[in-house]
Amino acid sequence: MDKRKIEENFFKLLMIFSTLTVLGSLAFILLTILWKGIPALSWEMVTQSPKGGYYIGKAGGVLNAILGSLILGIGSTLLAIVLSLPIAFYLNLYLQKKSRLALAIRFALDVLWGIPSIVYGAFGFTLMLWLKIPASLLAGMITIALLIFPIMTRGIDEVLKMISSELKEATLALGSTRWETATKVIFRQALPGIITAVLLAFGRGISDAAAVLFTAGFTDSLPHSLWKPVATLPLAVFFQLGTPFAEVQARGYAAALILTAMVLLLNILARIIGSRFSRHIIK
Amino acid sequence: MAELTLRLWKDQVSHRLMILMGLMVLFLGFFIGGGLLARALPVLQHHHWDQLLFSSQWHPTQGQFGLGAFIAGTLWVTFVAILIAVPLSVLTAMFLSEYCPSPVRLWLKPGIELLAGISPVVYGVWGMLVIVPLVRDYLMPFFSEHFPFFPFVSENYTGFSALTAGIVLAVMVSPLIISLLEEIMHSVSFGMREVALALGATKWQMVKTVVLRKVSPGMVAAIILGFSRAMGETMAVLMVAGCAMGIFPHSLFDTAYPLPALIANTYGEMMSVPLYDAAILLAALVLFILTVAFNMIAWGILLYLENREA
Amino acid sequence: MRPHISVKDLSVQYGALTILNHISIDIPDKKITAIIGPSGCGKTTLLKSFNRLLDLQEGAKVSGQVLVDGEDIYDPGTEMTHLRRRMGLLSQKPTVLPMSIYENVVYGLRIHGEKNKSKLDQAVEKYLREANLWNEVKDRLHDSASRLSIGQQQRLCLARGLAVEPEIILGDEPTSALDPVSAEQIEQRFLALKNQYTIVLVTHILRQAKRLADYVIFLYLGNLIEHGPAEKVLSSPRFVKTQAYLEGRFIEEFPIAAELDLCGGAKQDFPFRFEESLRGLTEGQIFKTLVDNEGLLRQILDLEQGQGHKVLEVRQISSTQWEIIIEKRGIGYSI
Repeated sequence: MDKRKIEENFFKLLMIFSTLTVLGSLAFILLTILWKGIPALSWEMVTQSPKGGYYIGKAGGVLNAILGSLILGIGSTLLAIVLSLPIAFYLNLYLQKKSRLALAIRFALDVLWGIPSIVYGAFGFTLMLWLKIPASLLAGMITIALLIFPIMTRGIDEVLKMISSELKEATLALGSTRWETATKVIFRQALPGIITAVLLAFGRGISDAAAVLFTAGFTDSLPHSLWKPVATLPLAVFFQLGTPFAEVQARGYAAALILTAMVLLLNILARIIGSRFSRHIIK
Repeated sequence: MAELTLRLWKDQVSHRLMILMGLMVLFLGFFIGGGLLARALPVLQHHHWDQLLFSSQWHPTQGQFGLGAFIAGTLWVTFVAILIAVPLSVLTAMFLSEYCPSPVRLWLKPGIELLAGISPVVYGVWGMLVIVPLVRDYLMPFFSEHFPFFPFVSENYTGFSALTAGIVLAVMVSPLIISLLEEIMHSVSFGMREVALALGATKWQMVKTVVLRKVSPGMVAAIILGFSRAMGETMAVLMVAGCAMGIFPHSLFDTAYPLPALIANTYGEMMSVPLYDAAILLAALVLFILTVAFNMIAWGILLYLENREA
Repeated sequence: MRPHISVKDLSVQYGALTILNHISIDIPDKKITAIIGPSGCGKTTLLKSFNRLLDLQEGAKVSGQVLVDGEDIYDPGTEMTHLRRRMGLLSQKPTVLPMSIYENVVYGLRIHGEKNKSKLDQAVEKYLREANLWNEVKDRLHDSASRLSIGQQQRLCLARGLAVEPEIILGDEPTSALDPVSAEQIEQRFLALKNQYTIVLVTHILRQAKRLADYVIFLYLGNLIEHGPAEKVLSSPRFVKTQAYLEGRFIEEFPIAAELDLCGGAKQDFPFRFEESLRGLTEGQIFKTLVDNEGLLRQILDLEQGQGHKVLEVRQISSTQWEIIIEKRGIGYSI
């Protein structure tokens, strides 16, 4: 008997220890970024582009990368929405619940989700060579869109799945076509959930670096053309840390802080909208 | 009537378009693989595939493109990461699903998932600031003094090592594994837990004999997914693994040069040397095949389980 | 009659919802006790309070006592695994564990540290025989238990429960998911086992209660309405709600015409105050009174014989208070 109690307590302790380790290291990351990033954070960082000699410690900021990441993220998110929404609606409204095609598409999306971003980057690169596009905002957008649309589609898919089939049937029974059901009733009902999925995908899009390394390039100027390279925050962090100068590295930490803040805010926002939504779902 | 025709026409057109997009999803994987293969073909034609995959001779300027050391580096780093991440993740998921009071769970779970969204580059920064010194100043001296045998012996004193990358990767992939596992564990039926407890099992015995047994296939799937995620991670690894061109890693404390890092690192120079770009895209293809295979196995298991439950 | 389980003033709440309302009752030893009542009236909750599986429901608040062989199981010092071992549970839907037939039966024994192979083998045969399953599965003991038919699964669950040698078997509508033949088999098992075990059965099938039960408890909306020997409760119930339920009629709440609070009052002046209140009513009107000691309660219940008034319901509403609902009848000398 005692042995059972000891075993129970031993494993319980192990579990608590593990949970604390995981949470602790995650908190540790945030604290490290805050601690290193805040001292180098300045108004200049977020309002200026790199000036000449920025990477050896001269004046400037990472506005180019902040704007670049936002524009690249928004553009690729919009592209991904164009792919994701119809596919998610197709899965839930046009295909039967047990349909083999639906199963295959969901499976394909899950597998696509697992392909590393560097592979998407390499594929984007082959597309660029094929379509004769230079490393540019456009190429980056296409690559990131491919990277995030599986997550986005599956996210929207899960939301649509939760909407009761009665609602779908009731609307169809009123004589609506499936297209009308999708656009007028289901879409409105699912909108908050869709926004959550889109924001999460957006967050993933701006935090990724490996996919844009090949395709979007990097530049010190503000984004101004679809056909020109564009700077992104993760790469700005990476390049600044690659220099041997302490001031530049410090600004790299500040850029990492900005990036983290942006992504976390997006995620929190997404979850707040999502939890609002789930409150109104009748299970 | 004309209006109805228009409505039906709209429905039909949208339906066709959606079918097309659905099919595109099905074939996108092949398209990616095909695109990479087409670009990698020149190097495959010039060299025998086993030399490309297993040789560790990587001298692009001399036309030698052995990916062996990089593949070994990938597996080594990933293996270390999974070795660290799995016990932590399983125990944490168990805690969240079985032991933790549900208000706490409602906070912890989104918290952990939130942190999965942090940029890989930021994990890399953290690795450079915290894990590199930890490995250099504490772990390596400790292990080389007390355990002077494989896999702890190394001449690399920089702290940028396979172990460093493994630790950072473990932290990166554990949120994914935890949230998958927690979901699977939580879905084990109440009735089954009740049976075990009604027979006088302690909570831990119930978890060990019923929950763990029931979720073991799902657990395998979650671990495979974690493995493949760790395998494809690029930026964080690039920043902390050392990435010295070399041979097969022989120690936790040796530098490692995994495939994703190779691809990312050589981007600038690869167009200047013949066949270099093809070799890099071959590396991407190898990575693609590995991750797709792992993902197919894992999602296959998960989908099968989901269908069996329903 | 020695009680095996003794429930004292047990209440269960989920948030604002009261599931069980001050239940006090004794469960007799080595008899079959049936808990009957419409669904959603707290039958399962009462059953699961006996082995503290209620603890698994988050947000359930339990007050009061449940004594098993005189030991309060809600005492914080109670070792839950020992307690639960003493009670086998059969749930509505047979729940086999994800393992072989053999392992299902020995699960409980293994949990409690039995490693001896031959003992385990013996136990498997013995309890599968007791559950009348042995002949059907003896050649495929190591097959997955989930391949058995649903009726066989329930008998396997019974064998698994018996294997830990409990004193009590709790059945939560154990035949409701089964076909008639399997249900019949389970019922036969219960009858065969009742000399060795105290059996408590939740059922909403009255005929099943008639076939099996020695003792019956009728719950309605979380209140204990009536309990007693089966033949008495099922054939000549004392209270109106029990009659209504047994006859399949709609159970109505009583229209209360007058109330009398006797709490805290002196014992002696009770007949006087009681008479005074009844005087104002006409025959057939309903009267509610509140008392706070058991002596008084018994005295009022005797009214039925003494004065011909009809006691419709007695309900405990707190640990020391009872509510008695009386219909004015006949020729009380008040007229």
